[in-house]
Amino acid sequence: MKLEEVTDSSPISGVSRRDFLKFCSMMAAAMGLPGMGAQIAEAVTVQKRPPVLWLSAQECTGCTESLLRTNHPSLERLILELISLEYHETLLVGSGKQAEEWREKSMQENKGKYILVVDGSIPVKDNGIYCKIGGKTALTLLEEMASQAAAVIAIGSCASWGGIPASDPNPTGATAVHEIFKSKGIKTPCVNIPGCPPNPYNFLSTVLYFLTFKKLPELDEQARPKFAYGRLIHENCERRPHFDAGRFALQFGDDGHRKGYCLYKLGCKGPETFNNCPIQLFNDVGSGAWPVGTGGPCFGCSEMGIGFTKPIHSPASPKYFTPPSILPRIDEKRGHGLTIAGVAVAAGIAGAALGAGAVTAKKLGKDDEEQGKSGSREK
Amino acid sequence: MAKRITIDPITRIEGHLRIDCEIDGGKVTNAWSSGQMWRGIENILQGRDPRDAWIFTQRFCGV
Repeated sequence: MKLEEVTDSSPISGVSRRDFLKFCSMMAAAMGLPGMGAQIAEAVTVQKRPPVLWLSAQECTGCTESLLRTNHPSLERLILELISLEYHETLLVGSGKQAEEWREKSMQENKGKYILVVDGSIPVKDNGIYCKIGGKTALTLLEEMASQAAAVIAIGSCASWGGIPASDPNPTGATAVHEIFKSKGIKTPCVNIPGCPPNPYNFLSTVLYFLTFKKLPELDEQARPKFAYGRLIHENCERRPHFDAGRFALQFGDDGHRKGYCLYKLGCKGPETFNNCPIQLFNDVGSGAWPVGTGGPCFGCSEMGIGFTKPIHSPASPKYFTPPSILPRIDEKRGHGLTIAGVAVAAGIAGAALGAGAVTAKKLGKDDEEQGKSGSREK
Repeated sequence: MAKRITIDPITRIEGHLRIDCEIDGGKVTNAWSSGQMWRGIENILQGRDPRDAWIFTQRFCGV
């Protein structure tokens, strides 16, 4: 095969087919779908570029920035050339009347077929006057645009559960997209990709999944894709061994902080925040490129009731104790025959004293038996 | 006779901006710019732990 042919068969100009397939395989792996890379590549190559309309409400553009920062292989190009971005306030060339006319035209032409992405919360107080675009409130625009969309993706914490604008005392009545759907009776399926900002690959994986399989990925009870939000940050944190061994940074800049110890006592919310930050990382610059990796405690930006709600310096309440998924099982299936040292690690109690180990062993054995009966918690 | 032009939204910027111009005889005689979105972060900050302030204020603008 000639080189030109290989290059030509990639749907994106300037990106080789090899790089394109590599990207699709990576997306498939992120979604827990090994071997599906080729199918994703086919789905996005064969089809007409799907129209995407992007509505910005009470937002800071951080979600868009996050999306444009990814760069292998030139992801902004991938987004702009794989999908047909019909309307996006920050990226549109036209302004004012031109922009709004194009939005209306595109909505009419692609009725029932377009994906609507929403970033930012929707203010409802005082008839929604706290966010207006082209003279219309974000509330009116969302109703108009969402009822005619094939699917809606709420990107970022503001759109997913209210985020910063909805923080107490919520001066503008900032409301999450799915709550507006409930009150207005809009039935369009809606996925939440929370985070401040969220990882762009979680967003892109969701879009590619929808294009490939014509349905939304498996979602949890908060409508978040399970492949990204199925596990606690704490479960996959590279500092987890320090937590298990009771080695903590106690102050910013102290000896433990400089040695990369666990940030739990500085208020890290990893033990109660569901996200894949430690695995997916940010900005494609290699290991350690995520908040905890750089020495900053997680503040739970993606978790409703934690981020922008719970003070940074108050300790997290660990949800449950499991070993990180990257480690092999260290406990017996039925919870018998555990060594005390093994339990101290598995239980992950902060600085677990050996004396407390026996009590923990009993509890852990019970939990595991129950878990064995009902099948594994989640995958 | 003065003519008024409104450009809303102004694109390729962060946030929601509206510009109103008054034009008379081919010249702009008056102009107004107005932010079309308000979150009230100043009000949200009141009464919080000062060490939490940065997570709010740095999100005024994500660009």
